[in-house]
This record gives sequence, structure tokens and C-alpha cells, in this order.
Amino acid sequence: MTPLFASWFVWLTGGYLLLGLGFAIPFAFRLVNRLDPVAAHGTRPFRLLIIPGATLLWPLLLRRVLRRDTMPPTERTAHRNIQ
Amino acid sequence: MSAFYRAVNWNRQKYIFDGLLAATVLGYLGLFISLSLGQDSNATLETALIRGLGSGALVLLTVILAVGPLARLDRRFVPLLYNRRHLGVAMFLLALGHASFAVIQFHALGDVNPVVSLLTGGADFHDPATFPFEWLGLAGLVILALMAATSHDFWLATLTAPVWKGLHMLVYPAYVVLVGHVALGSLQQPGPPLPTLLLIASAALVLGLQLFAGWRERGLDRQQASVAAEGWIAVCDASEIREGRARMALVSGERIAVFRYEGRISCVSNVCQHQNGPLGEGKIVDGCITCPWHGYQYLPDSGQSPPPFTEKIPTFNVRVIEGRVYVDPRPNLPGTRVEPALINPGGPRRSA
Ligand code: FES
Repeated sequence: MTPLFASWFVWLTGGYLLLGLGFAIPFAFRLVNRLDPVAAHGTRPFRLLIIPGATLLWPLLLRRVLRRDTMPPTERTAHRNIQ
Repeated sequence: MSAFYRAVNWNRQKYIFDGLLAATVLGYLGLFISLSLGQDSNATLETALIRGLGSGALVLLTVILAVGPLARLDRRFVPLLYNRRHLGVAMFLLALGHASFAVIQFHALGDVNPVVSLLTGGADFHDPATFPFEWLGLAGLVILALMAATSHDFWLATLTAPVWKGLHMLVYPAYVVLVGHVALGSLQQPGPPLPTLLLIASAALVLGLQLFAGWRERGLDRQQASVAAEGWIAVCDASEIREGRARMALVSGERIAVFRYEGRISCVSNVCQHQNGPLGEGKIVDGCITCPWHGYQYLPDSGQSPPPFTEKIPTFNVRVIEGRVYVDPRPNLPGTRVEPALINPGGPRRSA
């Protein structure tokens, strides 16, 4: 890997994660309450624990917040699909 | 259900498990470091620590991969299975420690960004003696980070089980690249290739267990779901099901759970609405099927959670003829009540 490519890679990854962290903190303490009623009563340690995942997956969560989702998606299984 | 998320749903068993895990990991590190320093007079504490953390992570990863098939082969391993996420997070922390110390030791001394230095170190992919094994380690670490960060139940619900499971199946590619990382790394060091041999043995063990458990389960599913007259499926004899427990079988593309309780038989889809927990591994508590994962409950005849809860799972029509349990393979709408089949029609009902 050339040094130029490597530094671009590091900068882009760092930028993505920094943006993610900027989103993850308000997400874990406030926004998550809108997306998932079970999380709305989540404890403080639970909220701290989801910050790393929200930092990594922030585009998905941001999309759900903007779509004003109020529940996690309901799952399809083979038995439910048959009906 | 009235659940709310905590960081960890602590109970006595989890405290004991985590205590034992921490003691084992610390004991392993202590032993590894003192043996390394004692045997090799050139070894430094930093190098011994880096190797101890890395090898500890790989041993834990091997255990994690072996636990799944072992629990399918022998129920005594099930407690390990239910605590597997704690093993996973501990393993990630060891791997992160290994990577951090290695980057500090080998890449942080110049004026180039340490990660840039790691990515640009003289790479020759054609020669095992100079192959950049660190890249494999980095790729493995990224996957482990993603899995550790999404190990909480919240992520299972947010991503849905199929996506979450797909994500966590990445543990297999992670294992492959990490085995490559350690094998190439140790080949590039002087000395006997003992780590590589141990590595091959453990990888063969994991693969063998996975294949064996998969082969055994296919046999079971086929055996249980023998098709009877009118398209109903003979699942098993009622006497084979323990009171308050279930028998599972593969029907219409998914498992069903056939419960026996108080002289009756009811059948529901095996998949818990909460997060796809295996209801057939649970039991009847206070008259309700109780999921072994987080305790969501369903009435066995209707598949509905008792009021005020609103979860519903599909039910199946069921009959008992001459002691044998037959199930209609067409699922009913979630929450549809089905008259339970009596095991001894006309006989006294047995209670739990
Ligand atoms: S999966 Fe959570 S209670 Fe069943």
C-alpha cells in the first residue's frame, strides 16, 4: 500500500468514526428512546454499552431516526411468511 | 413484555462465570509471561505480553467456536453457550490489547502515523517469509470489533436476527484470517513451528466439531418429520416428551415446538417473537411456554402472551392418535387458539 493511499484510508476511517461518535452519544442517551420502546427505559450502563456499536453503524441508525421509526423492525420467519 | 435493557442481566450464574473467566484469563497471561521470560533470556516483558494477549485471544476464539457444536451434541455445554457473548467480548479485549501493544512497540516510534506505518511496511504477498501478516490481524480485529460492539440484545432487535446472525457469522472469516495471522507471524520468527502446529490442530478440532454436529442434526430433523396420512406429520410419541417440556421438529421450513403439559399437547412455532429464541428449549412455567433466552411467555394453546402483553406466535393444529403426536404442517395465524390434544382422551388429566 502506498503511503498516500494509506494516509487517505486512515483519515477517511478516522473521519467516519469521529462523525459516528458525534452521533452515537446523543443517540444512546436520547434518540434511541424514539426508536425502541424497550430501550426507552434502558439503564445508563446499557446506554454507554451501545455507544461503540452506534459509532460503527451510525448511518443505519440515522436513517431510522430521520424516517421517524418508532419500533425495531418485525422479523419474518418461515412460519409467518406462509400466511 | 415488560423488559427494559440493562447492560448485563446479571444473575448468580453470570457472576460465577465471569469471575472464573477473568481468573482463567489472568492466570493464563501470568503463566505465559513467566514461562516466556524464564525460557528465553532475550525475551522482553513487552514481547511476552503481546504474545500472551494474542495467543489468549486465539484460544478463547477457538473455545467460542467449539461451544456451539458441543452444546448441540451434549446439553451440559449449554450454560457455556448462553454466556458465549461474554467470552466474545473478553476475547475482543485481549485481541485489542495485543494489537495496541504491538502497534506501540513496532510502529509508534517513528514520526509516521502508527497505522499508516503498519499499512505501508514492506509488503510482499508472494513470499510467506515477508507476507504482511499484520494486515490479516487488522482485518480480524475489525470484524471482532464489529461483533463485540453489536453483542448486546439491543442490536439483535435493531438489526433483526437474520442480519445480526449474518454479521456474527463473520466470526468464521475472522477465525481464518487470524489463524493465517498467527501462522505466518510465527513462521517468520526463528525457532520451532510449535504454535503453527497447535493452531492447525485447533482449527481441525473446530471444523470437525462443526461438521459432526451439523450432520447429526440433519439426521434428527429428517427422522422426526416423517410424513403421515393426510399430510399431517408424525412428530414423536407423546411419552417421549417430558412433562412441561417440548420436542422440536422441522416443519414448513422452520422448527416447531410440541409441548406436553397436564395431559395435553400443544404445538407452536419454535421462534420467540422477541429475538428468535428457541421456545422448544424452554419450559412451561405458570401455565405458559417460557422462552429460555429472556423469559417472554406464551399460552401454549393460542401462542399469545398473557395479557397485558401482545406478542403472538403462529400455532399448529395437533392430534394424538394411539399415543403418537401428529401436527398439521400449515401454520395458523399468530395467536390463533387451537384446542390442545388430549394424551389419554377420557382418562384423568395429569398435573405438572
Ligand atoms: S428471545 Fe428474548 S425472550 Fe425469547
